[in-house]
Amino acid sequence: MGINKVEPSDAELVRRVRAGDIGAYGALVSRYRDRLGRYAVHMIGDREDAEEALQDSFVRAYRSLARCDDPARFGAWLYGILVNRCRTTGARAARRRRMFVNDAQALNGAAHADQADRLDWTDAVERALARLAPEYREAFLLKHVEDLEYDEISELTGAGVSALKMRVKRAREQLQKYLREAEHV
Amino acid sequence: MFEPEDETVERVIQHLRRPVAIDAGLDARVMREIAQASSPRRRVWPRWSAAAAAAAAAAVLGAVLVARPWAQNATRRADTLQFVLVAPQAASVALVGDFNDWDPARSPMQTAHGIWATALRLAPGRYRYAFLVNGVEWRADPGAPAAKDDEFGTPSSVVTVGGRGS
Repeated sequence: MGINKVEPSDAELVRRVRAGDIGAYGALVSRYRDRLGRYAVHMIGDREDAEEALQDSFVRAYRSLARCDDPARFGAWLYGILVNRCRTTGARAARRRRMFVNDAQALNGAAHADQADRLDWTDAVERALARLAPEYREAFLLKHVEDLEYDEISELTGAGVSALKMRVKRAREQLQKYLREAEHV
Repeated sequence: MFEPEDETVERVIQHLRRPVAIDAGLDARVMREIAQASSPRRRVWPRWSAAAAAAAAAAVLGAVLVARPWAQNATRRADTLQFVLVAPQAASVALVGDFNDWDPARSPMQTAHGIWATALRLAPGRYRYAFLVNGVEWRADPGAPAAKDDEFGTPSSVVTVGGRGS
């Protein structure tokens, strides 16, 4: 037994923010920071870039709050902003990675073989995830890690449900393949 | 359904579902950016004098008035100022200034996760103000110009509220 603290709903907090209570937005940030942060970190693969994307998404959401048609679904709406932001960041990061890999290969040749021996499980998962095509990674994370329904993912990403199911299936197959490869290096 | 050999993938999923530590300072950064970046775009009316235009510019630079993009009529609401202080460790914060005779009891601030805020409707004019933290510590507003003419020797800030025809 005890006194249960009843948290205000998203709709109530959005209503307060719209009435000028900026502190209520702090409560929304705190409520969604960790969950959205996890998605951003896994999707982007770089913690600093992910936190920047997350911060930017919260600020964009505040500025666009008038366009949140259903305040009770603020979380889903916020997810949509973050998903788009991660796509932009991911595309930039991929370009950076390509440049880096080309330079590193030119300098170091095949030195990466030794590094593979030191891969632990966390590294292996991160690397396997990073090797997925962004649309596969996005669908896989939203479905299996963030536990969203296909309808919700479709709404967030603009992709059809059958396409999303295919992406998730491919993502699972490729993850398995990449992790098996890592085990045998 | 997935095949039993998908155990590896299920292990990946459980691994990825673990909480990820996000920098605890992110909340404060978001709130600071909101408070600063969404400062009002005050409309300068053609008939304003140069002094009034300068006062409006000072308000744009220094006030912590938070624009509310969803407001139906931002112009009419332009004299409602939102004062914000990020002070996660504070037990209480009050807004004190020329507008409330520096009486901390008249403008206590409300907090949500260390973000202290209150809104006041102010008539056009120039006001000095400060935040009184825990009843003893005076703090100037980090997002506003410092008041140069504070005869009390404690830090304070200044905000100039313009207005149509003022």
